Amino acid sequence: MTYVKQIIGIFLLVIVICGGPLMLTTVKEEVVFAPEEVVTRAIYLVQQIAGGSLGTYYLGDYERSIAEDIIPFAISTFELLFSSVVIAVLAGLLFGLFLQRFWIVRKFQRLLDLVSTIPDFILIFLSILAAVSFYKLTSIRIITLSPTSDAANKWFPIVLLSIGPTIFLLKVISLKYVQIGGEDYIKTALAKGMGIWHVLTHHVYKNIKPFLLADLKKTIAITVANLFVVEYLLNVVGLTRFIFSKSAEYQFNAAVMGLMGIILLSILVYLLIRAILYLFERILVYK
Amino acid sequence: MQKRFNWPLWTGCVLVTLLLLLGITGPYLAPYELDFQEKLSSTVVNGKTVITYPPLPPSAEHPLGTDKWGYDLLTLLLHGAPYTVFVTLAIAFIRVFIGTIMGLYIGIQEKTQTWWLSVENAWSYMPIFIPVYFLLAGVTINSELPTASLVALFIGVVAILGTPSVTASIRQKTEQIKETQYVLAATSLGAGREQIIFRHILPQLKEQIIIILVTEIIAIMTLMGLLGMFDLFVGGTYMTTDPVIYKSITNEWAGLLGSYRSFVYGNAIWIFLSPLIAFVVAVGAFTLLAKGLRDQFEQSYNRTPFI
Repeated sequence: MTYVKQIIGIFLLVIVICGGPLMLTTVKEEVVFAPEEVVTRAIYLVQQIAGGSLGTYYLGDYERSIAEDIIPFAISTFELLFSSVVIAVLAGLLFGLFLQRFWIVRKFQRLLDLVSTIPDFILIFLSILAAVSFYKLTSIRIITLSPTSDAANKWFPIVLLSIGPTIFLLKVISLKYVQIGGEDYIKTALAKGMGIWHVLTHHVYKNIKPFLLADLKKTIAITVANLFVVEYLLNVVGLTRFIFSKSAEYQFNAAVMGLMGIILLSILVYLLIRAILYLFERILVYK
Repeated sequence: MQKRFNWPLWTGCVLVTLLLLLGITGPYLAPYELDFQEKLSSTVVNGKTVITYPPLPPSAEHPLGTDKWGYDLLTLLLHGAPYTVFVTLAIAFIRVFIGTIMGLYIGIQEKTQTWWLSVENAWSYMPIFIPVYFLLAGVTINSELPTASLVALFIGVVAILGTPSVTASIRQKTEQIKETQYVLAATSLGAGREQIIFRHILPQLKEQIIIILVTEIIAIMTLMGLLGMFDLFVGGTYMTTDPVIYKSITNEWAGLLGSYRSFVYGNAIWIFLSPLIAFVVAVGAFTLLAKGLRDQFEQSYNRTPFI
C-alpha cells in the first residue's frame, strides 16, 4: 500500500513541477501565478488515462499518440540509463576499491580529479567536438548529428552519459577507501596474515557498501540530469523528447508522461543495481 | 610532518580574486560599446577588393573575434561578467545563510524531525535543474519584465530550491556535535538553546560552512550552464521566431555558451570556444579553491591507509 501511496505522491509532484510553465507566466510587466490552469489540465489528463489512452502530443507538425511512442522511447532511455549506471558502479568499485593499491590506478585518479574540475555537460560537449575532429581525421563515424537518421551507434551516448556518474562514484568510493584503510581492524587483519583480496572483499568492501548504497541514488540523479543533455545534443530519441521538444511548444501531457517515465525508470535501475550487487556478493564475497 | 605547498588553494584564490575584479570592472574595460556591431566591409588587398563579413576570427581589433551577427565577443563577455560572478555569489550566500540557520535549529531538536527528513530525502534525488527549468520557462523567454526583476526572480527560485541540500549537511553535523561532552557540560551549566547553537556548535562548523559555500557556487554555475543548454538564460532570453534564435539579454557566460552552442559544428569555432573557456575557467577557479580548502582543513586528521 505504501508503494501505491508513494507512486501517487510522485505523480502529484510531477504534475506540480510540469505545471510550472502554466502556473507562472508573465502578462505585460507582471508575474501571474495561476494554479487553476494546472488543475484543469491535470483533471483532463486523468480523464484521458481513465479512458485508456495517454493523450496525444505534437512532434513537429504531426500529432502523435503518446501511448504508441512511450514504449520504444522508454526502452532506448532505459538502455542508456542502465548501461551508464552499471559502468559507473563497475568502474567505481574496480578502480576505487579493488585496484586502488596500484600506483598507476592512483595516478589515473589524479588525472580524473583534474578532469572533474570541468562540469559534466561541458565534458559531453568536448567529447562531441573530439568525435567530430576524429571523423575529419580518420573518416570513421562515431556520431550522427542529423535528427532525421538513427544514431550511428549506441555505445557513444552510453560512454558520454557514464562520464559524470563514474567520476562522482569513483571519488566517493576512493575517499571512503582511504578512510577505512586507516582503521585498526584493517591493520589487525593484515597483521594476522590474511590475503589482500580477502581483506578487500571482507573488510573494506563490506564497510564501503552502506556508503555506496547511500550514494547510488545520488549517482542515478546525476545520470538523469546528464541524460537530458546527452539525448538532446546527440539526437537520441528517448523520453526526454516528450519534455524538451526542439520545435514545438511546451506540452503538458507529454511532459508529465516523460518525467513520470524517467522517474519510474530510475527506480527500476536502482532496484536492478541492488540486485546485481547482491549477486556479486553471493558469488565473489560469500562464495 | 613537512607541510606541502597547497598549490590548488593558492591558484584558486588568485583566480577567484581575478574573477571578482573582472566582475566589478568588466563593463568599464570592454573595448567596444555593448551594441557595437561589425558590418559588412570591403578592403583592397594587392589591388583586389576583398569583402569581409562577420563572423570575424580573432584579430588585433577583436581579440576573441566576433559572433555571427558582428558583436565583439570580448565586449559581450566583459559585460556579462558581473552577472556570472555576482548572481552565483548571491545565490550561494542566500542558500548557505538560510540553510545554516535551518540546519542548526532542526539539528538541535531532541526528536528527529521526520517531516524534514522526508523533504530532504525526496529532494536529494531530484536533479534540481528540472524544477528550476519548469518554474522559470514560462517567465524568462521573451519576457516583458525588466532584466533586474528577472535576475532577482532567478536568484530567489534557485536559492530556495537549493536550500534543502545545505540544510541537510549542516543538520547532520549539528546532530553529531550535539552529542559531544562539552555540549552536555554547557547544558548542565544552564546554557540555553541559542547559547549552545551560536557559542558551541556554530564555531565548530566554520570550516564546513566555507567549503559548502564554495561547492554551492560550483553547483550553481553548473546549473546555470545546464539551463543555458536548454535556452533558459539568467536575466531573460530573447527569442526570435523566424529563424528561431535564442539570445541572452545579460550576456551572462553560461547564457552565451548556451546560445552559441550550435557553432560547435561549424567553422567559426571561436564563437563557441570563447565563452566555453571563460566559463570553464570560472568554474575551475572555484573547484580549485574548494579542493585547496578541503586539503588544508583535512591535513591534520589525515591517516595513511595500511593497504
